[in-house]
Amino acid sequence: MKRWIILAIVVVAACLLPLTLDPRGYWIRVLTFTLLFAAMAQSWNIIGGLANQTSLGHAAFFGIGAYTSTILLLKFGVSPWLGMLAGGVLGGLAAFIIAIPTMRLQGHYFALATLAFGEVMRVIGNVWASLTGGPGGISVPFSAPNFANYSFKVLLPHTYIALAAVVVTTVAFEVIRRGAMGYRLRAIKENPQAAEVIGINTTRVKLQAAIMSGALMAMLGTLYAQVAVFFDPDTVFSASAISIRVALIAILGGIGTALGPILGAFFIIPLEELMNDWLSSSAAGLSQLVFGVILIAVILWRPRGFITVFEQLRAKLTGGASS
Amino acid sequence: MAFLQAIIDGLLIGGVYAVISIGLTLVYGVMGIVNFAQAEFLMVGMFVAWLAWAVLGLDPVLAAPLSFAVAFVIGWFVQGQLISRVLKAPSVAQIFLTVGLLIVIENGGLLVFGSQFRSVTTWYQTVSLSLGPLFISVPYLIAFAMSLACGAALWWFMRASWFGRAMRATAQNPMAAQLMGIDSGQMYKIAFALGVGLTAFGGAVILPYVTVYAGVGGQYVVLMFTVVVLGGLGSVAGAVVGGLAVGVIQALSALVFPIQMQNLVLFLVFIMVLAVRPQGLVGASR
Amino acid sequence: MTILDVRGISKRFGGLQALSDVTFSVPKGQIIGLIGPNGAGKTTFFSTLVGLIRPDKGSVLLDGQPLAGLKPHKIAALGMTKTFQNVALFGESTVLDNVLTAGLLRHDVDAAREDALKCLDRVGLKAIAQKQAGTLSFPERARIELARALCTGPKVLLLDEVMAALNPVEMQEIMDLIRSLRDDGITLLVVEHHMRAIMTICDRILVLNFGRLLADGTPQQIANDPQVVEAYLGRSMEKHQ
Repeated sequence: MKRWIILAIVVVAACLLPLTLDPRGYWIRVLTFTLLFAAMAQSWNIIGGLANQTSLGHAAFFGIGAYTSTILLLKFGVSPWLGMLAGGVLGGLAAFIIAIPTMRLQGHYFALATLAFGEVMRVIGNVWASLTGGPGGISVPFSAPNFANYSFKVLLPHTYIALAAVVVTTVAFEVIRRGAMGYRLRAIKENPQAAEVIGINTTRVKLQAAIMSGALMAMLGTLYAQVAVFFDPDTVFSASAISIRVALIAILGGIGTALGPILGAFFIIPLEELMNDWLSSSAAGLSQLVFGVILIAVILWRPRGFITVFEQLRAKLTGGASS
Repeated sequence: MAFLQAIIDGLLIGGVYAVISIGLTLVYGVMGIVNFAQAEFLMVGMFVAWLAWAVLGLDPVLAAPLSFAVAFVIGWFVQGQLISRVLKAPSVAQIFLTVGLLIVIENGGLLVFGSQFRSVTTWYQTVSLSLGPLFISVPYLIAFAMSLACGAALWWFMRASWFGRAMRATAQNPMAAQLMGIDSGQMYKIAFALGVGLTAFGGAVILPYVTVYAGVGGQYVVLMFTVVVLGGLGSVAGAVVGGLAVGVIQALSALVFPIQMQNLVLFLVFIMVLAVRPQGLVGASR
Repeated sequence: MTILDVRGISKRFGGLQALSDVTFSVPKGQIIGLIGPNGAGKTTFFSTLVGLIRPDKGSVLLDGQPLAGLKPHKIAALGMTKTFQNVALFGESTVLDNVLTAGLLRHDVDAAREDALKCLDRVGLKAIAQKQAGTLSFPERARIELARALCTGPKVLLLDEVMAALNPVEMQEIMDLIRSLRDDGITLLVVEHHMRAIMTICDRILVLNFGRLLADGTPQQIANDPQVVEAYLGRSMEKHQ
C-alpha cells in the first residue's frame, strides 16, 4: 500500500515539476534531455540489464529512428507520430539484423561488435548523403504548431512527451521483467545450456529482447529529432555521446532495475551539464577528461558493486531495506 | 595493373595494421579483456614521435622505439594500478574501465595538443621506388620494414624468451602457469604494456603519411577491431593475417569506391566474419 | 512400446573417441541404469541425447520422432530433458523461480507457478521454495534440479548422478521418488555410481566403457558378466561388500 502512495506522489510531482521551471530557461531543457536519456537508458536496460548483454551500439537504433521520421516528414509530409512508428519498425528490424551474428558472442566481444555496428550506421549516415543530407546534417521541416504535427512553439510539451516516454519504457521494462520473458532471460543469463535443456528457445528469446530494445530506442530518436530540430550523423549515431552514455546511465543507476536508468539519468546529465559549464570554458576536453577520471574512479571503488553503487546508497538512505 | 599496385600498397599498409592491432589481440588472448582504449595509444605514439620530430628533428621512424617506450610505461602503470583491480569483476566493469581510459586519454590529448591537425615532413615522404610498371611508396615501404622488424622481434620474444613463453602459458592456463611459479600479475603487465607499446610504435611509423590529431584513434578503432576479428581474437598470427588482409581489402576497395565507402566495405567484412566464423580465419577463441 | 530408440551414436572430440556406436532401445515405463567408470562417456551420451552435443554418426528416435539436429529446447518440448551432473541451477533466483521457469514450457506464469509448487512438493522441498537457490546444499540443489526437470512434463527423464553425496536415508527417498515417477508413466535413464541403488531400482542396466556399450541386461546378468566385472563392477563391488 505504502509503495503505491509513494509512487503516486512521485508521479504527480514529476508531472508538476516542469511547470515550476522557467519555460524558456536553461533548466527545462536540461530536464527534457534528462528525461529523454532516462527513457533511452531504460530501453537499453532491456538488453543490458535483463539479457545481460552490454551493447555499445544503441546509437544505431537511435539514429535510425531520428532519420526515418525526419526523412518521411521531409519527403512525404508524413506526421512525425507515424514516422516514429515507422522508425520503431526499422529499429526493430535493425536490432534483428544485428542480433543474429552477435548472438553467440560473450561480454567483451559482444560489446566490440555492437560498437562496430554503431559506427557502421554513422558511416552510412555520412556517406548516403542523398538520403540523409550527409555530414551537413538534416533539418526537421517547419510545420504548423499543433499536436498532430508534433510541433510546438514552446519546450514544455516536449518535456511532457519525454516524461511519457520514461513511463512507457519503464512499463515495458517491468512487464518484460515480471513476465515469462523475464524468467527466461534470467535463466539464459545464469546458464544458457540449462535454459535450453528445460525448453527455452534461447535464440528466440534473445532476439525478442533485442527487437524490443531496438524499436523503443528508435522511437526515442524521433523525440530527439523533434526537439533538436537539426542533427547530423555524428550526433545521433555517436558512440560516445549516445551509445556509451546511455549504457553508463543504466549501469550507474542500477542495471536491471526499473528505477536505475531514471536515477542514473538524473545524476549524470545534470552533472555533465554543470561540469561542461565550469570546466570546458577553460579548456576543450577538460570536462570530458574529468568525467572519464570519475568513471574510472567509480569502477575501481566498487568493481563488483559498480552496477549497484546507487542501490547501496539508496539502501543506506532508506535504512537498509532492499527492494 | 592498378590491381597489382593496389595489392602491393595493401600489403605494405597491411603489415603496419598488423603491428598496430597485435596489442589488442595479445591483451585479449592473455587476459580475456578487450582494451577499448587501444586505439588511443596509437595517438599517443604518434604525438610522441611528432614531438621528437618538432623538438629534436628526429625522423618519426627513428622515434618509434621512443613511442614504444612511453606507451609501455603508461601501459605498465595502467595495467598494474587500474586493470588488475577489475580482472575478477563482471565484464561490464572491465569494459567501462577501458572505455573510461579511452575518454581520459583522448581528452588528455585534446588538452595537451589542442584540436589542430599536425603532420611531419620527411625527405622521403613523396618518394617512390619503381619496380617495373609499379610504384612502391617509400614511406609505406619504410613503415612496412619497421613493422617487419618489430614483428620479428615480437616473434623472437614470444617463442624464444622466457617471458614470452611464460606469457603464452599464462594465456593458455593461468592456474597451471601460476603453479609453475609464473607470476600472472607480472605477465599481465608485460602483455598489456607490450600490447599498447606495439600500437604506439605503429603510430610513429605511419606518421610520415598520416596526420595526427587528438581524435585520430577513433579513425582506427574499427579498423583494428576488424583486423583482430578477421584473424581471430586472441591469435597473434591471426592479427598478422588479418592486418595484411585488411590492408589489401582497403586498397582494392579504394579502386572502386570513394573513401568513405571503403570503410563500409571493411565493416561488411567485419560483420560477415562475425556471422560466419566468429573465431576468425586463424584463431581459436578464448 | 519403444519410447527411446538409439542407433549407432558415435562422437569424437579431437583425438578422443568419446562415444562409439552406442545402440539400444528402451520400452516405455522402464528404469534404465547407465553405469561405467569415470570418463566412460555417460555424461557425454546424455548431452548427445538432449541435443547439447551433435553426434558424428547415428540417430535417436523419441517416441518415433527423429531428434537429429534438433536443439535442446525442441527436444525438451518433445518430452526429453536431463539434469546436470554438477547441478546447473539459476543460483540468483529462488528455488520456486528455478522450477517455474521450466514450467513455462507448457504454461503461462501463474499456471507454471502452480505446477512448480506441485513438483517441489513431489520431491519434498516445498518448504524452501522461497530460498535463494545458490545458498543451498548440494543434495538440496540436486533435488531442486530434479524438480525443475520434472516441471517440463517429460516422457523421458535423464538423471545424471542425482544421488551423489547423499546419506542412506536421502538415497532411499530418491529411489522411492524415481520409482513413483516411473509409476506415473515417465521413463527414466539414471547414471549412478551407487551400485546398490542401481541394482535395486533398475529394470535394466547399460554398461559404458571407453564410449562403447559393453553390456546391456538385467541387474543379475550384469552382475555376473565377466567383462563388466573386470572393467568396472569388480572394483566397486568390493567397495560395497
